[in-house]
Amino acid sequence: MKRLILSASVVAIAATLGGGSALAEDVTAWRLFVSDHAEPVVNVIDALDGDLLDTFTVKGPASLYQSSSGETVFAVQGNDGAVSAISSGIAFHDHGDHADIDIDDPKLLDVQIEGAKPAHFVELQGYIAQWFDGEDEVRVFTEKAALEENLEIRTANVGAAHHGVAVPYQNHVVVSIPNPEDASKRPIGARVVDFDGNTVGEDVACPGLHGSAGSGSLYALACDTGLLLISQEGGAPVIKHLPYAASLPEGSSSTLIGGKGLQYFVGNYGADRIVVVDPSEAENGFQLVQLPTRRVHFAVDPIRSRFTYVITEDGQLHKVDVLEGKIAQSLKLTDPYSMDGHWADPRPRVAVAGDNIVVTDPLKGVLHLVNAETFEKTGDIEVEGKPFNIVAVGGSGAVHDHDDDHGHDHNHDHDHD
Amino acid sequence: MTMTRITRIAGALIAATLALAAPSHAEAEKLSVVATFSIIGDFAKTVGGDRIELKTLVGPDSDAHVYEPKPADAIALARADVVLVNGLLFEGFLQRLVDASGTSATIAVLTDGADILNDPSGGHYHYVNGQAIFHATPNDPHAWQSVRNARTYVENIASAFCDADRDGCPSYEANAAAYLDQLDSLDAETAQAIESIPQDRRVAVVAHNAFRYFERDYGVTFLAPQGVSTESEASAADVAGLIREIREKRAAAVFAENITDARLVEQIASEAGLALGGTLYSDALSSADGPAPSYVEMMRHNVSTLVDAINGG
Repeated sequence: MKRLILSASVVAIAATLGGGSALAEDVTAWRLFVSDHAEPVVNVIDALDGDLLDTFTVKGPASLYQSSSGETVFAVQGNDGAVSAISSGIAFHDHGDHADIDIDDPKLLDVQIEGAKPAHFVELQGYIAQWFDGEDEVRVFTEKAALEENLEIRTANVGAAHHGVAVPYQNHVVVSIPNPEDASKRPIGARVVDFDGNTVGEDVACPGLHGSAGSGSLYALACDTGLLLISQEGGAPVIKHLPYAASLPEGSSSTLIGGKGLQYFVGNYGADRIVVVDPSEAENGFQLVQLPTRRVHFAVDPIRSRFTYVITEDGQLHKVDVLEGKIAQSLKLTDPYSMDGHWADPRPRVAVAGDNIVVTDPLKGVLHLVNAETFEKTGDIEVEGKPFNIVAVGGSGAVHDHDDDHGHDHNHDHDHD
Repeated sequence: MTMTRITRIAGALIAATLALAAPSHAEAEKLSVVATFSIIGDFAKTVGGDRIELKTLVGPDSDAHVYEPKPADAIALARADVVLVNGLLFEGFLQRLVDASGTSATIAVLTDGADILNDPSGGHYHYVNGQAIFHATPNDPHAWQSVRNARTYVENIASAFCDADRDGCPSYEANAAAYLDQLDSLDAETAQAIESIPQDRRVAVVAHNAFRYFERDYGVTFLAPQGVSTESEASAADVAGLIREIREKRAAAVFAENITDARLVEQIASEAGLALGGTLYSDALSSADGPAPSYVEMMRHNVSTLVDAINGG
């Protein structure tokens, strides 16, 4: 059933499209997927009016990941041995001069991947690698198959069970290399393998590997000595090591996020600093940003590409200008959330939904909304329980009568943001 | 030159976004120019000479369609006096880069006033790592493949430079005038060279349909696959359709392109029983030590490659 437009903002009535004229509505829709810190639920909230659209019950408290298309949200339930997939109900079809938006109800898909300890989740161009700690192979499948509720899982060997990461490509997977002396320690590098057990090219050393993110066609893995940058050349992934700049103080990243619209990475660099990395500038591409207190969470702004948001334990949200490498604005948003204590204690998480930055406040049971342009708080959305992990899916697109002939083929299949 | 939509958006954005730095022209005494890709960069260098400081975003042998802008690019735009772009949706990354940079530079759309072809297919395919990616563009953006259109690019560049740097205008206009003479000669030379190919042999095959302007101006027909991917399941059927067309139209040669990996055209050539005729330069120049380091050399290389492969085949 189409949830057409009732929970979306209709901005314009008519548009001229691709050489012909067609009546169209310019529709904006954003949805927040919010998991609970203690309960096995994922709430779906309309980001534009705060309405609860649905609540899905899963097996356990979940970490959430969205696909780059935004069509699917994955709920990784690390302590309960399951990964669930949710259709976001929002899909875009890019036609160059405009994009169409399809809006349906969100749906918990009849897809569940089970294993003792699901850990790192990586999606790249519609391919998904789900890592399970304690298994010596990584499971790879496509978003398309998940949406069709017909998973065909391929596996690639990772040498030995360890806490690692895999980056999926069409015919290859980049996998972390377990520490040969003690696989329970952090991986020592990465290699390219295929699905037939073959290794492609040379292993690339990167001790202490942990943390990964994609930015455009580049994927990065963080380690003690720098980043491993993975690109595709001639149909196979290629790994290159980018050492930290000599000008940086001693330290390393172990968690990364990747820019959207601009190709950059941001990593933690000690507890109270972050590092912005422009890989195209090599040694000159690292900028260290000092935070006032320890970092709790960070997220890039996919629309205002030069900004990344960081929430720190003093309850401040910071707007970091990645071009200048400094905090542009700060806003007190929550009570303090100390980083002392267990790493998995309930603490705020950040997502960006259109013009709103959304910050979960688990101990208050609310989502704080901050206008991304003015950087002023604009409201709260109350959520039952302890809202914890959050992802935002949506955007704007045209909805128009497909009886019209737009003068171009809508059947082609290609990627879009 | 008309004020473009993108210029107006950039102007509006500047009110909301902090500019990184004041335009550097006054400080550096050179006009700070950003060109989006290598062919425009070559035009800019020729017209601007020593009076400009040039940064080209998408370099030699690189595909602007899949380019992902970097923070350093945004910084360059923020500091630029003039940004030279092709337009016609060629640079898919441009709007978000302009937004990110908050630039107040003049954005000169070089296809303004050029003789533009509508694309009846609504776009064309690029081949990236074996995958076919549709580039939806209602008008064909590869306008520089017409030397007569290249004249318009050069005139627009001279006009943009003159607007931004009045003192340098005589120099820009003189450089442009000299270059336009070269382009006139190149146009005549190209037409003459193609005349040497028998009329019924003027059919070539490329992976990415970037040569429709060349086809219009010089009478060589280019066939290109639609959505064929070397790794897709549809590959065999789609290639078979193209092979039929190659035989019906008696295509004389298959050519690789510098911005696309050659696996697809090698497959097509093999199945059509044709040899690879060489590499054509479509959307980017070669590096300095390659055969097409400038626009004029690129066009000459493409023409000689076509003529040699077809007449010699």
